[in-house]
Amino acid sequence: MNSRNEKQRVAVMRHTRDLMPSTGFGSARPKASSALTLERRVDGQLWASQRDKQLPVWVSRCFPWSEPSRFISLRDTEDEEFALVRDLEHLSPGSRAALEISLAEAGFVLEIIGVESCEEEVEIRTWVVRTRQGRRSFQTRRDEWPRDMPGGGLLISDVSGDLFYVPDTESLDSKSRSLLWAFVD
Amino acid sequence: MTAEIRSSDQHIIERYTDQPGRMPLDLRRRIEQRCGGHPVQLYALADLDAAMNLSLTWLTLGPRQIAVASQPAGLGRSEIRIIERERIGGVREAPGLSCNVLTILGKPGEPALAVVRYTHRQRRAMENIVFLLEEQIEGRDVLADSGDGSASRDSRRDSSADRLGDPEYVEGLAGPIRQAQAMVAKNELAVLWRLLAYLVPYRRQLTIGMSAAAVITLCSLIPPYLAGFLIDDVVEPSQSGLLPVDEAARTAWLAVGAIASVYVLRQFAAWIRLRLMAVLGEWVARDLRTDLYEHMQKLSLSFYSRKKTGSLITRVSSDTDRLWEFLAFGVVDVSLSLVMLIGLACVLLTLDWRLGLLMTLPVPLLCWFIYLHGEKLNRLFLRAWRKWSSVTDVLGDTIPGMHVVKAFSQEDREIDRFNLRNRDVTSEFNRIHTMWTTFWPLLMMAIHAMTVGVWAFALPRLLGTGEPALSAGTFVSFLLYTTMFVAPIEIIGQVARILNRATTSAHRVFEVLDTEPEIVEKSTPTRLSPIQGRVSFENVTFGYDGLRQIIRGIDFDVAPGEMIGLVGPSGGGKSTITNLIARFYDVTGGSVKIDGVDVRDLDTGEFRCQLGMVLQDPYLFHGTILDNIRYGRPDADVEQVIDASEAANAHDFVCQLEHGYDTIVGERGHTLSGGERQRISIARAVLGNPRILILDEATSSVDTETERNIQEALERLVAGRTVLAIAHRLSTLRRASRLFVIEKGRISEQGTHSELLEHEGSTYRRLYEMQRELAHAV
Repeated sequence: MNSRNEKQRVAVMRHTRDLMPSTGFGSARPKASSALTLERRVDGQLWASQRDKQLPVWVSRCFPWSEPSRFISLRDTEDEEFALVRDLEHLSPGSRAALEISLAEAGFVLEIIGVESCEEEVEIRTWVVRTRQGRRSFQTRRDEWPRDMPGGGLLISDVSGDLFYVPDTESLDSKSRSLLWAFVD
Repeated sequence: MTAEIRSSDQHIIERYTDQPGRMPLDLRRRIEQRCGGHPVQLYALADLDAAMNLSLTWLTLGPRQIAVASQPAGLGRSEIRIIERERIGGVREAPGLSCNVLTILGKPGEPALAVVRYTHRQRRAMENIVFLLEEQIEGRDVLADSGDGSASRDSRRDSSADRLGDPEYVEGLAGPIRQAQAMVAKNELAVLWRLLAYLVPYRRQLTIGMSAAAVITLCSLIPPYLAGFLIDDVVEPSQSGLLPVDEAARTAWLAVGAIASVYVLRQFAAWIRLRLMAVLGEWVARDLRTDLYEHMQKLSLSFYSRKKTGSLITRVSSDTDRLWEFLAFGVVDVSLSLVMLIGLACVLLTLDWRLGLLMTLPVPLLCWFIYLHGEKLNRLFLRAWRKWSSVTDVLGDTIPGMHVVKAFSQEDREIDRFNLRNRDVTSEFNRIHTMWTTFWPLLMMAIHAMTVGVWAFALPRLLGTGEPALSAGTFVSFLLYTTMFVAPIEIIGQVARILNRATTSAHRVFEVLDTEPEIVEKSTPTRLSPIQGRVSFENVTFGYDGLRQIIRGIDFDVAPGEMIGLVGPSGGGKSTITNLIARFYDVTGGSVKIDGVDVRDLDTGEFRCQLGMVLQDPYLFHGTILDNIRYGRPDADVEQVIDASEAANAHDFVCQLEHGYDTIVGERGHTLSGGERQRISIARAVLGNPRILILDEATSSVDTETERNIQEALERLVAGRTVLAIAHRLSTLRRASRLFVIEKGRISEQGTHSELLEHEGSTYRRLYEMQRELAHAV
């Protein structure tokens, strides 16, 4: 798994907040770490069980960049929140392992390890990059600039909505650094 | 579904993406073989594998099966897995930041039939498959196929021909790039030629302007030559007594007169050139603006939802202005600078080839340095623009939201935020200034060094110690010519920048001009005048972005004169239904019919004249109330305007205004209250006397008193017309003959108010009771 996910794991270890079901405003939510269990079933889905209710869910991070390992919203097929996991730490090891697989998919972004070219064209900017996942070319709108991330690194969003993350621009080769220079503070 | 592949889309995929432009034909044939000859109807690429590496896995949909084909990285054959569609119990799509996971479920308790992962780039193509599978699961098969062996027919087609599923795949992939920039596939030269073609109607003025510019260049070359002639053939012989003073004076005055005449001619030519080219550039800019604005009026609403208003305004204003500058001056300056440089080089080499070489040989090098400098500046500018946009972001955020800033007392924080970015951008611009202010003196120093070099080589020859001898006059001419090098070198060095700026602006203008309206009128449309008012939806499906289906198979029939209330939760598709009736968008499946005729076959202009719309946020144009009321019928007389205004309960408040109907309402009608604006818009609709009326939340943003006024006006307006009214306050729909509850793109319930209330647990009843409880609570 990529280094960003490693960082997320480290962050998970740091935070030890409670796990709360989604029943109203944050302060009113009862502690229910033991009430919620998560498992990957044979149908390939992540299932959440709470009290007498169980259903397949998908995960959405409330703060995918600033708090990647906390406040994870479990959504049902109607896209309504079934439960809010405030911290992975308070899940049972089995539930946590099941959730982490989904989190890795939900939080996946392409990680840039080198920039081969970045050309300005009318209205768009065309990038050719090497990512940890393979070589990729993509386009960004010229008026949409790469974004500095709270935890460091640079995030580039292409015209399709795919995200490309540069964890540390300083660790790239000199050509990549030079091509990114205009976008890094 | 998309009918055919746009000519430029294939090129976009090849140029801008690194994935196959279509599904490989041999793989497709193998899948179709494995599926008993049934064709692949749709396909999409799942470009992530289970380990989250980029990979090639194809998901195909046929009439009876789906197939998952993983293409290995090496030369091995793809592994194909066939799944019978009847085994599919459900599909689940889990969206992520850049990875979407599609799980194709079996029957309850069975293992998943397939799991594929893909980036957002593939999502549109994948959504088409998901949509059809969902429809199948719910018992509606949109792509029903007889399975009569059409795959073999499809596969026998020429290898370059489009096959089933190709257009949808290509559109899904190329669409976002094309929408970001419609002209991605055009090259710079083609754009430049197209721009220059706008000069053709003004070729006479252009020829005169260019000729005048050529005269300027030639005239510039004469005075230095005459100066040399004066020194060598008049002054020196006269001083050394070889030429009589009278004759010398006569010749000298003739030469001075010639110089004066050349200057007069030069300035006359300059006047002609400036005048003609400036006017010509303005004409071309005017033509471009006219073409642009006319074309923009024809473009569909989807175009305006994709483009920022500011960007479109800039194209009509700043970009055409920049093109004026290029056509009026850039074209001539660049071409004549080239002529001037070549002319100067010829003259210098003719005067003295040794000194001439000394001056001309470094010129290409200097141009190259200027070019490199420009490239470096571009990089700095890119960084500065980024910083600059962060400054304008703060302004764009805070100025429209100033009341929020003040309400939360965040002025100091906003000042700090602005100052930080302002300091940042200043330091970037200063970096640019440091660079160019260093470069240009250095460049001038190089040119001066060349001049000093000329002196160093010429002096021995002038003093008679070097060979061959050089006359003072020739040397003076030479020196004067060298001073003329600077301006054309400067312009030639900036050719790349000048062309780049012009082609960028031209691109932006042509991008709009080349955008085809999505609503296309038939060559011989059906004219329905007057229309009766029957509105029918037949299995209508629609999505704005090709990604998410907003309308998912709606059927209804509204008789002329009927009033239909559209209710339901936000985002359900109510406003989309009204947009489809007005044909602001075309359906993606099924048809919308007016009096039994498909709206796509109707004369759109004539049809919309018989359609009235009163929207939640009425839009008034800058102008008088009178102009706004008769916006749709400029020929209406004032009596009719007053009648319409009275019917809309607007007459009284208009008469209370100092300037009555001649009151200027300001931009978007900001001088009027929301209720007043709404009543003006109702008057506008009344004056249009529409057969079909659409009311979209017409009273939702006004107070109770105003609502009563508007409600009265609306009751007068709806009489005798077909009405489709959207309202959250169900009480406003009490006159509706039927109510449609729209949820998730479908009609979930329909009937009269009392019929719907009878159903225990119905959405309508729940909404009604919630509103009643709220009313009681207040």
